[in-house]
Amino acid sequence: MTSKAKCSIVGLLLLGAAVSSGCGSNESSRQNPDQAAAPAAAMTLFTCANEKTEQALVANFTQSHPGSKIDVFRAPTGQLNARIAGDVRAGGLTADVIWACDPLTMSSYAGQGLINSWKPTNAGAIPTRYQTADYVGAHLLYVVAVVHKGVPPPSSWADLTKPEYEDAVALPSPGFAASALGLLGYFAATPGYGLDYYKALKANGAVQVNTPDEVLTGVASGTYKAGITLANSAYAAQKKGSPIEIAWPQPGAVAVYGPIAVTTKKDVSPISEDFVTYVSSREGQAAIAETGVYVTMEGVAGPPIPDGAPIVSPDWPALSADTSSLLQQYRAIYGG
Amino acid sequence: MARRVRGAPVEPLAAGVVLLLAAALVGLPIARLVQTAAEAGAGAAVRTLSAPGIGTALRNTLVLAVVVTVVAVPAGAAMALCLRRADVPCRGFLRVAVLLPVLVPPFVLGYSWTQAYGRAGFTDAVLDIHWPGVLGPLGVVVVLVANAAPIAYLLTAVGLATRAEPDLERAARASGASSLASLRTVTLPLLRPALAAAGLLTFVATLESFAVPQVMGAPAGFTTITTRIYSDLALASEPAAFVEAVTLALGLVALAAFVLTPADLVLAPRLRATRTAQAAGGTTVGPTTWAGRLVAAGLAGYLVLTVALPLLALVAAALTRAVGLPPTPGNWSLDNFREVLNPTMRAALGHSLILSAAAATLLAGLGGLVAAIERRPGGRGIGTLITLTFALPGSTLAVALLIAYGRWIGGTLALILLAYLAKLWALAHRPLAGALDRLPPAELQAARASGAALAAAVRTVVLRPLAPALLGAWLLVFLTALHEVTMSSLLYGSRSQTLAVVVLNSQELGQVGSTAALAVILTVLLLPALPVWWLIRRLQVRHAAGVGSAVGSEPAGVR
Repeated sequence: MTSKAKCSIVGLLLLGAAVSSGCGSNESSRQNPDQAAAPAAAMTLFTCANEKTEQALVANFTQSHPGSKIDVFRAPTGQLNARIAGDVRAGGLTADVIWACDPLTMSSYAGQGLINSWKPTNAGAIPTRYQTADYVGAHLLYVVAVVHKGVPPPSSWADLTKPEYEDAVALPSPGFAASALGLLGYFAATPGYGLDYYKALKANGAVQVNTPDEVLTGVASGTYKAGITLANSAYAAQKKGSPIEIAWPQPGAVAVYGPIAVTTKKDVSPISEDFVTYVSSREGQAAIAETGVYVTMEGVAGPPIPDGAPIVSPDWPALSADTSSLLQQYRAIYGG
Repeated sequence: MARRVRGAPVEPLAAGVVLLLAAALVGLPIARLVQTAAEAGAGAAVRTLSAPGIGTALRNTLVLAVVVTVVAVPAGAAMALCLRRADVPCRGFLRVAVLLPVLVPPFVLGYSWTQAYGRAGFTDAVLDIHWPGVLGPLGVVVVLVANAAPIAYLLTAVGLATRAEPDLERAARASGASSLASLRTVTLPLLRPALAAAGLLTFVATLESFAVPQVMGAPAGFTTITTRIYSDLALASEPAAFVEAVTLALGLVALAAFVLTPADLVLAPRLRATRTAQAAGGTTVGPTTWAGRLVAAGLAGYLVLTVALPLLALVAAALTRAVGLPPTPGNWSLDNFREVLNPTMRAALGHSLILSAAAATLLAGLGGLVAAIERRPGGRGIGTLITLTFALPGSTLAVALLIAYGRWIGGTLALILLAYLAKLWALAHRPLAGALDRLPPAELQAARASGAALAAAVRTVVLRPLAPALLGAWLLVFLTALHEVTMSSLLYGSRSQTLAVVVLNSQELGQVGSTAALAVILTVLLLPALPVWWLIRRLQVRHAAGVGSAVGSEPAGVR
């Protein structure tokens, strides 16, 4: 080996070592931001709301509350759950506020005593179907049907089991996406549908993918002709030019609300309640809607909802008691 | 083995450091997971493991791991052996090109292959041919093989660089052995440790693979233990589902231990040898032949199918304004790139690069130490131990580290670095273990006895013959850490965002175009990493050239 080559190797190793020791000492000498005694106006938000929405709300809030600071942990529900489970076992929750993407997740946090049953005074302006005694819904997801351009849109969910959609429908998996689980819960409890609906879809050649976004991508690119996905992402893709049509089939698009609540963390930040109040206020709701997401408050314009579009809600408490048996029945049909 | 060298206390110190780190990075986290599962009681564990669908998922996982290993390792080894032939045209380019798949982030593999070969995909649009099985078990196998083969190639090539005895091969040929016979009796036996390392790494990596089975297996209802674990985590706001995920992950660890223990304790020591560090010349130049051209054409075709087309689909998605529009110039736009090139992405890229380089550098050293220690009678099994965390799915390992160390360093880069060290230690150790024969302890002792300072002895006796293996290990760890999504996206804090966070943010915004753009940026950014590999080859050539000019002057080359 030449000395030049030797130098390269030794140099590489040294560079790495220098970098690593630098990063190690920086990190260990700095107190953990989540757990150190926080300045009075700092809080930690755990959320699965999308980055644009969460950032807009945090920016607006910190601007109108000078001196306040919000650390955000944003991740899909799976990672969020794992982080919270890890935190709880590592000495306690580090989040002051949790903003979830579906009521089932929040109801089990509440069941474990992680949620403070405090609601903002302005919660009264939000429909009762989007809140419980413990928490209030901040944003909404609508589960709708989507078809590739040129394919006739279904007018009812049952249409997807007809021959014109044979071998062409994609469903999101309830094992991965809470919105799909909400849909499963709704169909299971609806006369004329039930688990038989899923069997009929399967018999018609429907396949499951993991997330509503994968459905949307698959339908837009023509891998599937039709699918079940979320309205806000579908309208956003359509606006950009994706060749899709969106349908709100009978008996209705399934509404899934994303609840927000203050946690039972010890020494919870004093601005936690202010933040929740802001998110459920008219300005907060308008700020969410501006990022292309539906909100729970009526009269705040978000992404499109066609006139007279039917909307339904699952019976969340009943569904949360029944989740594992429903999933088991679903998996018997689709695997996964 | 006796240590009679002056100033030898370095050795027990090194062993102590490795044991301590193994306890901290592997022992404690796994113990905390066992504790979490045990708190729920034995009944819960039995219920989890006997739940409907778990048997199928387990069978799928095992069959997948066996099939991918059995196909990818010989394929990778064959590529390395083919590219050793002096008569292959464009050999330098091909040697780098076969490594390209490791540059493509795994989180876009499912999408890029579907777009290349699926219904309404690339081949469907151009040739009216699509592959219906791409979304199903066969697709999962093909994509995993295409991505494991380069790693097997790398390990074999490192093995060839550090273990090959071209003089023996030439002697065999000169004594009348056919090229096949010399391959069977000389080359392959010498490569056994490298092939064993490649096999075990591929097996364990397939056991814990998640992104590809998840995206490509779901439409066919194909589940593995890892997809089941992720599904449990999605529901893990319920403590029972969380415990179920942990129990399944421990099951995967047990499965890996079941396969690794006999392989490491019984098989591996028999494959080892101690040989002189005197390198024999290997690389020769010669005229290209029709057989060489055939090899080059075959490899080029393989690369077009496994790398070029999926990558092209990815670039098309990144450049197209909206999902589903034809990738014609009228629909081209740089919006997707603009969307991901934001300040968050730049900060995250910085963090990821630092973390990956740090992990790769530390692990190149730690992997070498483990490879040395496990050759001692008392050190057997340490290699198995540190491979257990490689078998643990990232999500579960991250939770384990959070439980073990979160209260002190939660949300910092330090915790993410610990996760990378714990997860990827085996990835650095195995290539080195497969190459360590070149390090006869007597030579280090001789250097020290002759008065060389420790640093000088290590530099001249240890680093020189091991350079290709060290660089190979460094490269593998660096790339894997940079592409890692599950662990850092679960462990990050407000000042320690990694690329994983950016990837998930863009995925969750539902725009596959920006995720594709991110993947393209990463791939292009990493292209300069491949010359590191080229450097390895250069080292080898110079190494050889320095040994004996007689070797280089042989015209026909070694087949």
